[in-house]
Amino acid sequence: MLKEINLTVRSGEFAAIVGPSGSGKSTLLYVLSSLDREYEGEVIFGDVELKTLSNRKLARLRNRSIGFIFQFHYLLADFTALDNVMLPGLKLGELPHEELEEKAMQKLDLLGIADQATKRVNKLSGGQQQRVSIARALINEPQIIFCDEPTGNLDSKNALIVYDMLKNLTREFDQTILMVTHDDSYLSEIDRQIQLLDGRILDR
Amino acid sequence: MNRYPILKIVITHLISRKRQTIVSMLGVTFGITVFIFQAGVITGLQDFFIEKTINSTAHIQIYQDKNQKSPPVLLSIYDEEQTWVSVPNIKSKNELPKLKRGLQIVEILESYPEVTGVSPSLSTQAIFKIGVADVSGIINGVNIRKENRLFNLENDMVSGSIIRLESVNNGIILGSGLAESMGAILNDNITVVSPGGVALQMKVVGILETGLRELDNSRAYSSIRNTQKLMNVTGNYITNINIKLEDVDQSGVLAREFQSRFGYTAEDWKDANEGIFSVFRVQNIVTYLVIISILLVSGFGIFNILSMMIYEKMNDIAILKSIGYTDVDVRNVFLLEALIIGFLGGLLGLVIGFVISWITSIIPTNIEGFVSSEYLSINFDPLFYLLAFLFGLVATGIAGYLPAKKASKIDPINIIRSQ
Repeated sequence: MLKEINLTVRSGEFAAIVGPSGSGKSTLLYVLSSLDREYEGEVIFGDVELKTLSNRKLARLRNRSIGFIFQFHYLLADFTALDNVMLPGLKLGELPHEELEEKAMQKLDLLGIADQATKRVNKLSGGQQQRVSIARALINEPQIIFCDEPTGNLDSKNALIVYDMLKNLTREFDQTILMVTHDDSYLSEIDRQIQLLDGRILDR
Repeated sequence: MNRYPILKIVITHLISRKRQTIVSMLGVTFGITVFIFQAGVITGLQDFFIEKTINSTAHIQIYQDKNQKSPPVLLSIYDEEQTWVSVPNIKSKNELPKLKRGLQIVEILESYPEVTGVSPSLSTQAIFKIGVADVSGIINGVNIRKENRLFNLENDMVSGSIIRLESVNNGIILGSGLAESMGAILNDNITVVSPGGVALQMKVVGILETGLRELDNSRAYSSIRNTQKLMNVTGNYITNINIKLEDVDQSGVLAREFQSRFGYTAEDWKDANEGIFSVFRVQNIVTYLVIISILLVSGFGIFNILSMMIYEKMNDIAILKSIGYTDVDVRNVFLLEALIIGFLGGLLGLVIGFVISWITSIIPTNIEGFVSSEYLSINFDPLFYLLAFLFGLVATGIAGYLPAKKASKIDPINIIRSQ
């Protein structure tokens, strides 16, 4: 599906893969983000080739260095917002429980939903859920956050809020973000657009 | 969020699907309950029977085996290899089953430190008559004090007393079933007729119930003297020596020793009750088969429910894997769910099993089988409880492991892509 892809994302970049549906945007994102490993060629994350990693090391890499934000919020429905944010941190196990909880609260606060922390996520609105998943992606301070149509399932008002927050993260915290989107109404402030058509990157 | 995210996920899963959790728990509970109850009743009955048997039969019995046929004398003349000797219809010699030097043997036996009691006796078939009723049974001629030391007859007396056997001249003690079937009560006069045709008037001085139906229906006790009169033999004639040991488990070894020392058949209580023990063995096999199949069924229940749970929780699995939880973490979630179901279900099963067993043990049942007893005697051996619990955990562990392993192999990309 993907052909002759040669792409480097640098630290601190806010990049977006854009293109019509069926162009292979999501596939490219999944390959780059370690989810899809059935590719030909090389995907080098930091200095490791993803195919060489065992499942265990791969899990470690995702836990420590990668944050995910999906179109459908992918939260554990029976857990509170705070629980969901803490999950990757608990797995990493680097912070004591109290500090981790405090840090998770900070992330929720950063996204403006600290007051929803103890609610179950299935009681939250779509926009709030997406912000919880952004907070979750941030908790372990990953090297990169992959977003798959993060605003695709939101109304324009909420989409704008989420989009502003992502932009904010790159500007103020130097967070590297690679995003897939087909919504070009917010693309003006993105550092770099990667145009994809029929599995190939269009040169600009 | 508690410190152990896996445990939290497990508990949330189990609570959010209460009905399935409870149904699969009850499967285990039912299995364990049946295990506890059935094992308790069966082994309780067996232990009760064994205890009764040990108390009312001798640990070792010495007697002369009347059916021992001597080989044809021709064989000592001709070499069997070269000559075909055929002697049909061999009969045993007309020999009384008397233990020669019986009373000396008793004295020797009493000097063994392992032996706690020796009671010489003789017994014969007899017809017991009262009015027109007649019943056949076995009359034992015993020294009642010695016999009592072996079998604690005093405790089994329902009326009368054993001592009157010595004070009343022609006294007889009847087994309860025997007395009932001929309609005899205490102080009745009855007639006892031996196979040799000797008839004796006797007075019922006691009625005895051991709980072993076969004995109670056929056995009567009288003095050695009176029984010898019935059999028309002399004063040192005895046919059996019953021996009680300090330690029942030595009966096999000592029986062999006595057999070779005295030249008579010495049979230990296990040989004497071989039939019962083989029944027990079959019973145990059936019990274990039932228990295993019940646990198997509850295992399948858990397997099904967990497999369904995995389909429903695909999203959760994909999320956990994409945020850095390993295959092993995911496997542990589902394995732990199975084990918690097994643990709680098993615990509940132990409690219910115990309660049902306990209730059964205090309800009078008045069983009249080959053992009669007012209450079911139930075995509360903690080993069963431990064993049942371990079985439950192992069964649920295996039933949970397979779907858990499958869950751990799920690739999150397949779920994320399909949205």
